[in-house]
Amino acid sequence: MVSRDEIMAALAGVPGPDGRASLPDSGAVSGVTIRDDKVFAAIAIDPARAKAMEPMRAEAEAAIRAIPGVKGAVVTLTAETARSVGGAPAGHAHGGDAPRRHGRPSEPLPGVKRIIAVASGKGGVGKSTVACNLAVGLQKLGLKVGVLDADLFGPSMPKLFGLNSKPGLAPDGKKLVPLENYGVKVMSIGFLVEEGAPVVWRGPMVISALNQLLREVVWGELEVLVVDMPPGTGDTQLSMAQNVPLAGAVIVSTPQDLALIDARRGIAMFNQVKVPLLGVVENMSYFVCPHCGERTDVFSHGGARKEAQKLGVPFLGEVPLDIAIRLNSDDGRPVVATMPEGAQALAFLAIARGVADGLAAGAGAKPAPRIRILD
Amino acid sequence: MSWPTDIVAMDKGRTLEVAFDDGKVIRLTAEKLRVESPSAEVQGHSPNQKRTVVGKENVAIVGIEPVGNYAIKIVFDDGHDTGLYSWDYLRKLAG
Repeated sequence: MVSRDEIMAALAGVPGPDGRASLPDSGAVSGVTIRDDKVFAAIAIDPARAKAMEPMRAEAEAAIRAIPGVKGAVVTLTAETARSVGGAPAGHAHGGDAPRRHGRPSEPLPGVKRIIAVASGKGGVGKSTVACNLAVGLQKLGLKVGVLDADLFGPSMPKLFGLNSKPGLAPDGKKLVPLENYGVKVMSIGFLVEEGAPVVWRGPMVISALNQLLREVVWGELEVLVVDMPPGTGDTQLSMAQNVPLAGAVIVSTPQDLALIDARRGIAMFNQVKVPLLGVVENMSYFVCPHCGERTDVFSHGGARKEAQKLGVPFLGEVPLDIAIRLNSDDGRPVVATMPEGAQALAFLAIARGVADGLAAGAGAKPAPRIRILD
Repeated sequence: MSWPTDIVAMDKGRTLEVAFDDGKVIRLTAEKLRVESPSAEVQGHSPNQKRTVVGKENVAIVGIEPVGNYAIKIVFDDGHDTGLYSWDYLRKLAG
C-alpha cells in the first residue's frame, strides 16, 4: 500500500505551477486519495494557464505512476478558486482540449460582480433593444457595465451599439479586448464575422464559442454584465445557467398571448435552474400615432404586467412601440444615450432603476453553498 | 424552497453531507449518489431505460463542482462525472 508521504516525495522532483518551488512546496496539490493502489490528486492552477500547465500535470502523473506498487495515477488540474474544490478537473485530465460534456464548472468571472440575463421565450419581441438600452441605462445610473451578445446566430449588439470594428488582442496575445460605446463594453460574435455572414453551427460549437466570448475577454472590473440571450429555452440558455452563477434574469415580452405563452416558458426555465427573476418588461406596449396622437394597443396591452403579477415576479415597466426607438436603434444610437430626456428613454431608465434596485436588494438570490472535501 | 448552505464530502469521499438553510442536514453515501446519478448514463432518457448500477460499494467522491445556482456536479473515483445533482434531487435522494 502506497502512502501519502511516498507520493509527496515522488512529486518533490516536479516543479510547481510557478516553475520554481516543487509541487509539494507550492501548496497547490490537494485531494490526494489512494484507492486500491490507484492514486488521485489535484493541482490548483490559474485556469487561464491551463494549457501551459498540462506538461506539469503529465509529469506529476508519471512521477506518481513510477512509485513501486502504484497501479495507476490520475492527476487533474483544478481552478484556483474558492468555489471549486477537490479533484475538479478544470482542464480535463484525459481529454486534453476535447470539449467537456457539461462545459466548464461555473466559476464566477474574475472582476465581474454580477451577470444578468435578458431573455424571452419568443423571438422578435425586442429583447436585444431592451438589453442594449438597459445596459446604457445601468451605466447612466453610475454602474460599470458590459454587454455580452449571446445570440450567436443573430447577433444584434454591433448594430445597436453602432460598433463594427474588430476587437483587439490583449497584451497576453490570447484574450480579446471588448469594444466600447456609450460607456458600455460590448462583446459579440458579430465583431468577428462579416455582417450578413451566417453562423452555421451545431450546439457544441455554439457552447464553446459562448464560453470564449464570456471568458476569453478582458472585461476588466464590471459591476454588471448584461447578457443578451437568444430566444427560446435551449442550449445557450442552459449553458449560461450552468457555466456562470447568474444573479438574475429579465424577461422581455410583448403583451399578446402568443408571446406571453413563451415568456412563461422562459420564466419556468429560470425557476428550474434557480436563477432569480428580476422582473418582466412589456415591450411594444402601445403605439401612439405621430400624426393624430391616438393610441393603439397593437399587441394588446398590460398582458405582461398581469402575467408578472400572476407569477409573483416584479413588473419592471412598459416600453412603447415607437418610431424613434426603431430609427435610433438601427442607427446604433440607443435612445437612452442619445435622447435621454425623451419619454422612450425615460421608460428604459425606469426599467434600469428597477433592475439595479432588484440587484441591490438581492432579488431572492441566495449565496452559493460552501463546498468542502475533507479527508 | 430550502437552500443548501454547506456541502461536505467526508469519510474519505464515502459520504456527502448537505446542510440546508431550514436546518435540515442530510447524509448520503457515495454509493447511493453513484447508483442514483441523475446522468443520462444511468437514468437513460425514459424510466424504462434506467440502468441498474452495481458494484459501487467502495466508490468515493473525488471532486465537487458548482453548476450555476442550482446543482453540483460530483466527480467519482470510477471516472463518472456526468451527473448534475440539483438541490431538489439531493433532498429527494435523502427521502
